[in-house]
Amino acid sequence: MRESDTPTAARIGAAVGALPLRPSLVATLRDYGIYLALAALVVYFAIALPQFRTPDNALLVLLQVSVIGIIAIGMTFTILTAGIDLSVGSLLAVAGMFSGVFAQKDPSAANVLLAFLLPVVIGLLGGAINGVIIAWAGVNPLIVTLGTLTAYRGFVVWYRVNPIYDLQPYYRVVGQGTVGPIPIPAIILLVMAGAAWVVLNYTRYGRYVYVVGGNPEAARAAGIDVPLLKFSVYVISGFCVGVAGLIFTSRLMAAQAISGQGFELQAIAAAVVGGASLFGGRGKITNTIVGALIMGVLFNGLVMLNVPAPIQQMVIGVIIIAAVWLDAVLRQRGY
Amino acid sequence: MLNRVPLVRMRSISKAFGPTVAVDGVDLDLLPGEIHGLVGENGAGKSTLMRVLSGFYADYAGELAIDGRAVRILSPGQARALGIGLVHQELSLVPELTVADNIFLGREPSARLPGFINLAAARAQARLLCDELGVYLHPEARVARLSIAERQLVEIAKGVALNPRVLILDEPTSSLTHQEIGRLLDIVRSLAARGMTLVYISHKLDEVFAVAHRITVLRDGKRVATAAVSEWTDATLVQAMVGRDLSSLFPRRRAERGEVRLEVRNLGRTGAFHRVSFAVRSGEVLGLYGLIGSGRTALAEALFGLAPAWDGDILVDGVSVVIRSPRDAIGHGIAMTPEDRRVRGLVPMLPVRTNLSLRALRALSPMGLINGHREYGEVQRMIETLAIRTPSHAVEVSTLSGGNQQKIVIGRWLMIPPKVLILDEPTRGIDVGAKAEVHAIIDRLAGDGLAVLFISSELPEILGMSDRILVMRNGTVAGAFSRQDATEERIMAVAAGVAGEVRAS
Repeated sequence: MRESDTPTAARIGAAVGALPLRPSLVATLRDYGIYLALAALVVYFAIALPQFRTPDNALLVLLQVSVIGIIAIGMTFTILTAGIDLSVGSLLAVAGMFSGVFAQKDPSAANVLLAFLLPVVIGLLGGAINGVIIAWAGVNPLIVTLGTLTAYRGFVVWYRVNPIYDLQPYYRVVGQGTVGPIPIPAIILLVMAGAAWVVLNYTRYGRYVYVVGGNPEAARAAGIDVPLLKFSVYVISGFCVGVAGLIFTSRLMAAQAISGQGFELQAIAAAVVGGASLFGGRGKITNTIVGALIMGVLFNGLVMLNVPAPIQQMVIGVIIIAAVWLDAVLRQRGY
Repeated sequence: MLNRVPLVRMRSISKAFGPTVAVDGVDLDLLPGEIHGLVGENGAGKSTLMRVLSGFYADYAGELAIDGRAVRILSPGQARALGIGLVHQELSLVPELTVADNIFLGREPSARLPGFINLAAARAQARLLCDELGVYLHPEARVARLSIAERQLVEIAKGVALNPRVLILDEPTSSLTHQEIGRLLDIVRSLAARGMTLVYISHKLDEVFAVAHRITVLRDGKRVATAAVSEWTDATLVQAMVGRDLSSLFPRRRAERGEVRLEVRNLGRTGAFHRVSFAVRSGEVLGLYGLIGSGRTALAEALFGLAPAWDGDILVDGVSVVIRSPRDAIGHGIAMTPEDRRVRGLVPMLPVRTNLSLRALRALSPMGLINGHREYGEVQRMIETLAIRTPSHAVEVSTLSGGNQQKIVIGRWLMIPPKVLILDEPTRGIDVGAKAEVHAIIDRLAGDGLAVLFISSELPEILGMSDRILVMRNGTVAGAFSRQDATEERIMAVAAGVAGEVRAS
């Protein structure tokens, strides 16, 4: 924020004299490196691939990124508190399935409302279950959500193993609709990211999220209700999953019990590539979104380059590790 | 001290971190068998200088010689091979392993089968070592179950186990009690008597005076002076360290005492403390002294709700209150700065601003939205009030010195002034200059009408700052002294349980 205008800073600046340029340059790179990485990727693909640099393709990337991006927003909240939510993919399938059940029925007001609202409610509920066990029973988030990852998936397969395909036409608006040229999922992503950004940067609640993740003992000693806060981030994660489940089902016009497998890893990857620390207290929502975009652009470009799917997976895996390694190296050097 | 050929000769040693010069052209000789006290304020370069000698920084400037032979020490392994051992300021033990495992970590005695550890040998050697040092530690005890003081002793045993020619002790007593310190100093003397050279870094000048043969003072990365211990006095040493006359380490003025703010009646928690009763008035500093295990920290934690009391009553302004959590305590106007500021006080990776405004956020964020402008102003005001030295509001709090970190922990509570402030070891591990500033802050707070409960392991500090002193032993209040009656000897006698004669007088 407003820094470097304190007398102390001036004094130190004067004492040190002309600071060497190098550290500040590296520090800048550390802060904005992820934007540069995204820009470099985009420039590279744009030069290499004529079909990449079309507006339509840009919108396609946005559309493809939106589901994972929205999940990654919730994931960032849990990671900031030194937690994690592995159950997002399974919960997405549950939310999508119940949405599909009502989207298949005749479009009465009640059915339409349920088709749109139920997935969000289910997301909140699934997140609340995670949150209660983590916050008040005190079980490790990794274990709890690993358990619910399995349990939620089991539940939705048990509930309905066959996909629902014949959804009512109105239902496609959320996943396939556009405002002007812009896909509605991308708009939802941007709105939710914006809201999350405001919450994390400008509200008391957001500040507490960082503090609880950074040092839960200090948070407790400062009078913060640590369990309640931990509970809340899983509810937020569940909410994001509910919205993502609705978009996903609507875009495919199909509700499937197998939806969302592996989404948890993609969402975690987006946050981690964006510099979030799995130990909590460190991370930014903007960087998470850029992290998701990097993965989306990579995927999109590699497909166009006709890179076979297994090779794509290998490339993306290497990039995740490299990004986190670089971040750690720069941090260790004190940048 | 017969042999005057230096074992270690350092000439024009410099080390910079980016633009910050931590050590600036220091010359230092370490003689065989001497205990060399190294003192200076935090950031004076003591630890950095010794880490250069221990091979942590390959990019230092200057010349090193061991036994008169020039060397460049580029790695800790090389330093170890040259016979230089360092006992770290911060504990670096693996809690889940045993004492013996930790002592021999990285160089476990081998069994006959390659890759296997000869556990029996490790245990036997560890036991021998502990006996030699006069330390009562079970080699098979898990470190996680040891007290901080015991861990510090393991840390030292680990350093001695390497049988170095030079052993550097960096703040070895920061978490030890009076008695334990005495034992440690005996160990240090016996090691020197065996011909080992020791470098003793400490903030506690009485210890340095008690144990060192020569004392070197560093300030701002430069060497100010080196002289035999007999040539130093308290005053000259402190003056050399801070570069100014520090006449008032204990600037306690008498404040107007008001109403009873906090009263405690028969407070207890089974296994920790029992039947504790006392009262603190507005404007009063009540000192609380006790050896480790006496229950003084447990009492403080009960008052702040970290570990609630089971029996008895707590009254704030004469009204009985229930304190089950820090939230309750804060709600009743009780604040506490914790014994270990890193564990309970600070959020190290978050900026100064966030750490300072944490408690005040409720007031600074109507409708939950933080008023950034007001927050900036309040934080700036607190930085100026407490003279917190930080390059900006945005730097990570972990980069500040211990004294400034402590001021931030205190400052957090002062953003919304409480009625009662509990300070648990507020000056532990901070340098003399910062200590004097913290004392001045305490004095000012009492002057402003706060009731202060001041816990410290340092007798001179307790005596210098308190209006009254409670001494705890075995979980209860064993004695109470007014400012006039208190002396170090009397307090120590009560704390150690040999007070029969003293109190009879």
